[in-house]
Amino acid sequence: MLTVNDFLFYLLAAVTFLSGAGVILARNPIHCAFMLVVSMIGIAGIFVTLDAYFIAAVQMIVYAGAVMVLFVMVLMLFDLKHELKAFSKGAISGVLKLLSTGVLLGMLLAYIGYTFSVDPSFKPVPADPQHAMETTKEISSLLFTRYVFGFEVIGVLLLVIAIGAVTLSRISGGTHADS
Amino acid sequence: MGQDAFEITINVLKMLVIFLGIVQAVPLLVWLERRGSAFIQNRLGPNRVGPLGLLQLLADAVKFLTKENFVPEKGEWFFYYGAPVMALIPASLAFASIPLSIPIAIEPFEMFGRTFGPYTFIMQGYDLGIGIVFVLGISSLGAYALLMAGWGSGSKYSLLGALRASAQVISYELALSLSLVGILMVYGTFYFTDIVQAQAGPLTFNFLGKSVVIPWLPNWGIFFQPLGALIFFSATFAETNRLPFDLPEAEGELVAGYHTEYGGFKFNLFFIGEYGHMLVASALMATFFFGGYHFPGLTPEGVSAFWSGVVSGANANNILTSLTFLLVLLAKIAFFLWVFIWVRWTLPRFRYDHLMDLGWKTMLPWALFNTVLTAVVMFISHQ
Amino acid sequence: MPILDTALKVGLNHYLYLSAILFAIGMLGILIRRNVIVILMCIELMLNAVNVSFIAFSRYNENLNGQIMVFFVMTVAAAEAAVGLALAVTIFKKFREVNIRFFEHLKG
Repeated sequence: MLTVNDFLFYLLAAVTFLSGAGVILARNPIHCAFMLVVSMIGIAGIFVTLDAYFIAAVQMIVYAGAVMVLFVMVLMLFDLKHELKAFSKGAISGVLKLLSTGVLLGMLLAYIGYTFSVDPSFKPVPADPQHAMETTKEISSLLFTRYVFGFEVIGVLLLVIAIGAVTLSRISGGTHADS
Repeated sequence: MGQDAFEITINVLKMLVIFLGIVQAVPLLVWLERRGSAFIQNRLGPNRVGPLGLLQLLADAVKFLTKENFVPEKGEWFFYYGAPVMALIPASLAFASIPLSIPIAIEPFEMFGRTFGPYTFIMQGYDLGIGIVFVLGISSLGAYALLMAGWGSGSKYSLLGALRASAQVISYELALSLSLVGILMVYGTFYFTDIVQAQAGPLTFNFLGKSVVIPWLPNWGIFFQPLGALIFFSATFAETNRLPFDLPEAEGELVAGYHTEYGGFKFNLFFIGEYGHMLVASALMATFFFGGYHFPGLTPEGVSAFWSGVVSGANANNILTSLTFLLVLLAKIAFFLWVFIWVRWTLPRFRYDHLMDLGWKTMLPWALFNTVLTAVVMFISHQ
Repeated sequence: MPILDTALKVGLNHYLYLSAILFAIGMLGILIRRNVIVILMCIELMLNAVNVSFIAFSRYNENLNGQIMVFFVMTVAAAEAAVGLALAVTIFKKFREVNIRFFEHLKG
């Protein structure tokens, strides 16, 4: 019978898949942005079913709470009433794009299926939500010992990005489309 | 959620009670605000409907419910209706993860001819191993309620108010999270229950290798993190859009900001959301910095001994002990809510650029300094 | 039924299937959408799909390196989203359009 973990996985996978499909199919870009928010919350749920509690919380704080708010705010500032075409025109190029994506997806799925039919040995380990703190301690000790160089480089990267974004925003001009 | 039907039922009821508690606290809070503001402004508040004006909010609720339900013409239906609902969700989820009292241990008892085994009911909605970051993550979803309201109303005032409000909320989230890093360092855990347990008893700390105990001060977080408490409390004012940070909903500026086009019950839901956020902020303040449900001088054994003199039976004793500690926490939360209301009617509001400067250029550096200072002090004192 | 048996116990391959599907959806979005910001959002979707795959492997190999990698990927993706949005705002200020149809022939 379906265990709770399996049911949760299927529910969250369905939510994520449907909202991901909504991202690419919605006409209004703000609807796309909100569907992406739902998708990210679904992915945070998937991280929880995989026992990565700290990463799920970081996903909520960083992605669903900050990056997507930024996307939605920028979209609301643009006056997009005269959005001409949401999807690319041209039937032949559209079919080619669909075909190529289908080929990639088919190859990936076939490869995963083949690997697992040869070696179906990954068994789920029972989860223990109380050891979230130990995992966080291990992650932080890894970050500060083995990966400290990457950690510091990320800090420099964020500083450069912040300076770059502020510089880009100082170019004069207005965001109103009808002026 | 539990191993048999009784426990599952009680847990579901507990979550419902916690949610309804937030919703029912709002009329009391609004009454407190109206009477309190009247007291500060040297006038009488509502005092005609019911004793001391307590039923005024019931009359207001009936009025809200009977108003006409409209959707603005240029607005989008889904966002317009979804925004008030979205305003309630983060507050409820965050409040349900805060420990409200000590767990109740129920001995086996007889009912309807069956024996129900020993249970332990925790006085929380759910007990998460990642308490603090869960609350931070969920409260960062509060910005979406503002954006959905602003966009769904289809009017320029709403949109500008929503953009300002959400920019303010995400700016002060940073200072909020950083001020909590100090608490994480001092207590070394994300787990709410452990943080509250570590604040029991008298003030104990390590100073240059030996352990110092000051018996007349409680072991509360505010003595370990005064700067962090100050920054956290100020940042929660900005997160809940309360004065002095409430430019996005100020009347003279933007009509009513993101809830201009809302009337009737949906407006009421926004109110519940805002006061719910205030409630969560007060509860977090009490949990992190003021000892949660502990009170100096009250220990679970002492209270249990007191109640066993009054009532017999281990189950009733446990329940009453837990309720006593719940009352302590509620008293602390009420105090902080009063501080929220007091500050609202005392200070003038910030201009928007002052507000953003304060968040980025003052609170964020001070929160970082607090982190570094905590690290240095901990390093020195643990030599 | 054999397909019900494979469906009922969720193992690593289910998470990888989900990751592959999300990745393909994101790629399709980049190819067929014409709004610069929606393209950026589809890039974010692809990065999230890859994050799911990393965490799934980290869980099933009992190795925390996957979670560290996700940490870095998340940070870089957030930074890139910020720069992408700043660029999009600049483009909009200059050209009054965010439809990439107008930028196919940019010179210089």
